[in-house]
Amino acid sequence: MFLQQFINGLTIGGIYAMIAVGYTMVYGVIQLINFAHGEIYMLGAFFAVSFIAFLHLPFFVAFLFSMACCAVCGVLLDVIAYRPLRNSPRLAALITAIGMSIFLQNLAMIIWGSRPKPFPQGSLPEYFEKTAVSFFGVHLSWFHLFIFGVTICMMVGLNLIIQKTRWGKAMRAVAQNKTMASLAGINVNRVISYTFALAGAMGGAAGIMVSAYYNSLYPTMGYLAGVKAFAAAVLGGIGSVPGAMLGGVVLGIAEALGAGYLSSLYRDGISYGVMIIVIVLIPAGLFGKVLKETKKSM
Amino acid sequence: MRKDRTFNVWCLVSALLLIMASATLALGADIKIGVAGPFTGDLASYGDNIKSGVTLKLEEINNAGGINGQKIELVWGDDLCAPKDGGLVGSKFAADKEIVAVVGHVCSSATLAAMPIYVRNGVPCISPTSTNPTIGDVGKGWFFRNCYTDDFQGKYLATYVVADLLGKKRVAIFYENNDYAIGLKDSFIEGAKEAGLEVVGAEAYVAKTTDFTPQLTKLLNKEPEAIFLCGYHPEGALIASQARKLGFTGPFFGADGIDNVDYINIAGKYAENTYLTVPFLAASAGPEGQDFARRFKEIAGRDVDWMSANAYDCLGILAHVIAKTGPDRTKIREGLAAMNSEEKGYEGVTGLTYFDEKGDCFKPAFIKKVENGEFVPAE
Repeated sequence: MFLQQFINGLTIGGIYAMIAVGYTMVYGVIQLINFAHGEIYMLGAFFAVSFIAFLHLPFFVAFLFSMACCAVCGVLLDVIAYRPLRNSPRLAALITAIGMSIFLQNLAMIIWGSRPKPFPQGSLPEYFEKTAVSFFGVHLSWFHLFIFGVTICMMVGLNLIIQKTRWGKAMRAVAQNKTMASLAGINVNRVISYTFALAGAMGGAAGIMVSAYYNSLYPTMGYLAGVKAFAAAVLGGIGSVPGAMLGGVVLGIAEALGAGYLSSLYRDGISYGVMIIVIVLIPAGLFGKVLKETKKSM
Repeated sequence: MRKDRTFNVWCLVSALLLIMASATLALGADIKIGVAGPFTGDLASYGDNIKSGVTLKLEEINNAGGINGQKIELVWGDDLCAPKDGGLVGSKFAADKEIVAVVGHVCSSATLAAMPIYVRNGVPCISPTSTNPTIGDVGKGWFFRNCYTDDFQGKYLATYVVADLLGKKRVAIFYENNDYAIGLKDSFIEGAKEAGLEVVGAEAYVAKTTDFTPQLTKLLNKEPEAIFLCGYHPEGALIASQARKLGFTGPFFGADGIDNVDYINIAGKYAENTYLTVPFLAASAGPEGQDFARRFKEIAGRDVDWMSANAYDCLGILAHVIAKTGPDRTKIREGLAAMNSEEKGYEGVTGLTYFDEKGDCFKPAFIKKVENGEFVPAE
């Protein structure tokens, strides 16, 4: 049973990791916790379902289209809500983020209704249900492998983008020091939008996979997932992408093992408890940087 | 000084005139009845059912001229099936003196939160669907219901459904952490002891949980033969589908909370082989019930469910009482409490309803199951 719980934890953890990197990347470039990120995750699921139900697109095509739409949503979120407040106190942007979260939840309720919806019947490929591999009493279906595969590819891809491409270098530069980056000729606003687009796409992908796997989506699904992913990002060190990935996986496994062995009622409490313990011991998170106080010379 | 006195007298006279005018207006006004339930949110389908049932009865009554010439007006209160909002709706209804009675709430936890407010303010409340057994104690004479209680339902599930109908011995329970499910689980466990069943495990969850795989893995390790979905249909559907995906092949069973077409929509083909107890089943109802089911299908466009039937009867009971006592909160409560024997009961589409001293009534339970993607009677 331990192995099955571990696999459960890896699956949940991978999803949390994908959402957590979104939080951490945005924090890295503009030092803002994008509370509306959970809603992009939710919108990803709803877009995919709408594409399948109304445009009759096959699942994988709807998946990609929905990711693209979420990327656009992320950029819109930045342009409409956060960019005008770029030079305002951070509290203003934080409150705006919470406001956008509430706004998007209610917008989804108005557009799609507030009842939980199933994924359209027959839209998932048939073989998703079938067992792909079996070992030591654990069964993994093709859907499980799909989720693992997508999660791993996206995280590896994200790492490649950040480390090896020019855009990635620009993102890292903006995260280090915005002013210097713009003096070096980087279009800071555009880099920030690009970050939001990446974060949005990954969040949307997570949303589609979760809603397809559990066959249930509803407008407030972003809230709980968002809070847990935020906890995962903090656990791994906010601002660090590998940290967010590790944090997500750790949180998922802690949750699954806690719910399986300790008590399913306190499952959420256990995951937050793990986060609290790690933060108390390592205040900057697992991979976070401890910044020294610097005197501002302006 | 003389000018002040004249002014004061004029104020007094005009105030008196206004009061008399509003009194005459009130005499011809509609009778207001509050209806509380989850009209938005995850469990909005319950609210829709109540709305359909109550609106059907409302139109019948108002088209026939109302109660003693006065029409009924419904005031809706959205309680999101949660204690906090149940309390808010309760306060709102209690404060509006024109509301003479309340049909609601739907979910036991909301009713339990609202009842102390109704007791303090003296508002009679009749629930079509709250099944938790402790509400009668909290209600102190102001609470009535025309559905059975979970005391009865839990034991019925253990003895008739699991032991007799399904013939299974080992049961695993999944219950939501709220008043309804905890009450139901406790009474089921009592019944299970009497029926000689073995409860191999009971896992709790909070509302809106979507991932049950850790708990299911833990429970399935103990090899249950049947799983009790002790909660509401959104989570029940997810538990059923995830259990099947993890390889569980036995039957699921549940109670009134699972009875909703969304259960089948969300669980899809995994909903097969699920049994549930319900307070009303059109196929097994008497001629009045069958006639009501037909009319409901014509007007609402979907099959009747037990919540609509009970809500329809609730409004019927209230109208029946108000016709005798008039629109007064205390008199309505006395009128309802006086319906305490078979002869004084109300014959509605769900059968005969009369109340005991806690406001509870005795109603039979029916069993249905999911077969080929539809609910069918199970015996």
